[in-house]
Amino acid sequence: MAGVSMKDIKLRIKSMESTKQITKAMEMVAASKLRRAQERIVNSRPYFAILFDTLNTIANDTEQFSSPFLEKREIRKSCYVVIGGDRGLAGGYNSNVLKLAYSQMEGTDACVIPIGKKCLEFFRSRKVEILTDIYAVASDVHVGDCFTMAKMISNGFLKGEFDRDAVVYTNFVSILSQAPALLELLPLEYHPRSGDTDSNCLTLYEPDSATVFDAIIPEYLGGQIYGALCESITSEQGARRTAMDAATKNAEEMISDLSLKYNRARQGAITQEITEIVAGADS
Amino acid sequence: MTFHLQVVTPDGLAFEGEAEKLSVRTQEGVIGILPRHIDYVAPLGMGEAVITDAEGKEHYAACIGGMVAVHNGKVRLVATTFEWAKSIDLARAKEAEQRARSAMERSGISERDLKLAEAKLHRSLVRQAVGKRKY
Repeated sequence: MAGVSMKDIKLRIKSMESTKQITKAMEMVAASKLRRAQERIVNSRPYFAILFDTLNTIANDTEQFSSPFLEKREIRKSCYVVIGGDRGLAGGYNSNVLKLAYSQMEGTDACVIPIGKKCLEFFRSRKVEILTDIYAVASDVHVGDCFTMAKMISNGFLKGEFDRDAVVYTNFVSILSQAPALLELLPLEYHPRSGDTDSNCLTLYEPDSATVFDAIIPEYLGGQIYGALCESITSEQGARRTAMDAATKNAEEMISDLSLKYNRARQGAITQEITEIVAGADS
Repeated sequence: MTFHLQVVTPDGLAFEGEAEKLSVRTQEGVIGILPRHIDYVAPLGMGEAVITDAEGKEHYAACIGGMVAVHNGKVRLVATTFEWAKSIDLARAKEAEQRARSAMERSGISERDLKLAEAKLHRSLVRQAVGKRKY
């Protein structure tokens, strides 16, 4: 029998089948996690809407508004929050976002707060300054962590440790497409609404409007980071689902290919046997 | 007399309905909000929130970060974390406390990490205090 023996083919089919089972299971896990992650995004929306609304109202109520967070300085050092995944097998999810982040900071003075194990490894191997590695496991990062991180970032910004802060994350466009994106956090881009309708200056701010504004900013940033984190986690699951779906399909294709080969080999063996028997009977 | 109260967190709406009284800890100290309060905004600290509902029953929760806003008689509590006392996992809070304490004791800890650990410790202590409440 030419080529591979029947036993070899059978072994390969078996290993292919178990691989397929794994990829199939991973796909289903990713699909259910994806649903949960999408719910999380929807749940968090009203919170940010209200927070943003309040910030706007304060800024509009106060004449000659100024805050150190709005101040644009010469950029000497940037700080990036880079959100990646903990594990691979998610298509181009990690490499896309890391590529974008690295292209941004290459040649400039930058430090990074990595979220996700893959992210931490990437920046560590490239010797980029890492501010803290306590957020290394992306699945352990909770809402509260986002806010402590935001507080740390805003303190650093006020102290002048860095002059710009941005988040690099993956935007969840749809289940099939995720795009890496960069979101500027500090200095805050703020455009006052023109012709505000129901601004009343009778609101009591405790202790005063500027303090309230500056106290809410870290909350707002935390919210933005949390939003980006939610988007990224959803994207990761989406990317993994797609990648695993493709892997399952490939495995199926290979299995059907191999079964065909196996059947041919089997047939060939039978034919050969018959020929041998007939030849034996003839002599 | 009651007022409309909404408690929003990044995890969704935690409470919506009529309330007689709301007491929260702002960064300046504990304040109580009663119906017909003037328009008001204050950032929240870390502490306990008590909501007295329309039936006069008190509900306790750990409420950390965010702000409280009164606008046209409607009250919005926009909290980073808002956990009802009955849903606080005391064992987990205790664990977080120990983790934070051991992180703080580590030698050579950077000032930044120390601050983060302190915040975590504070948070876990607040959660434990509220969680131990009889409700």
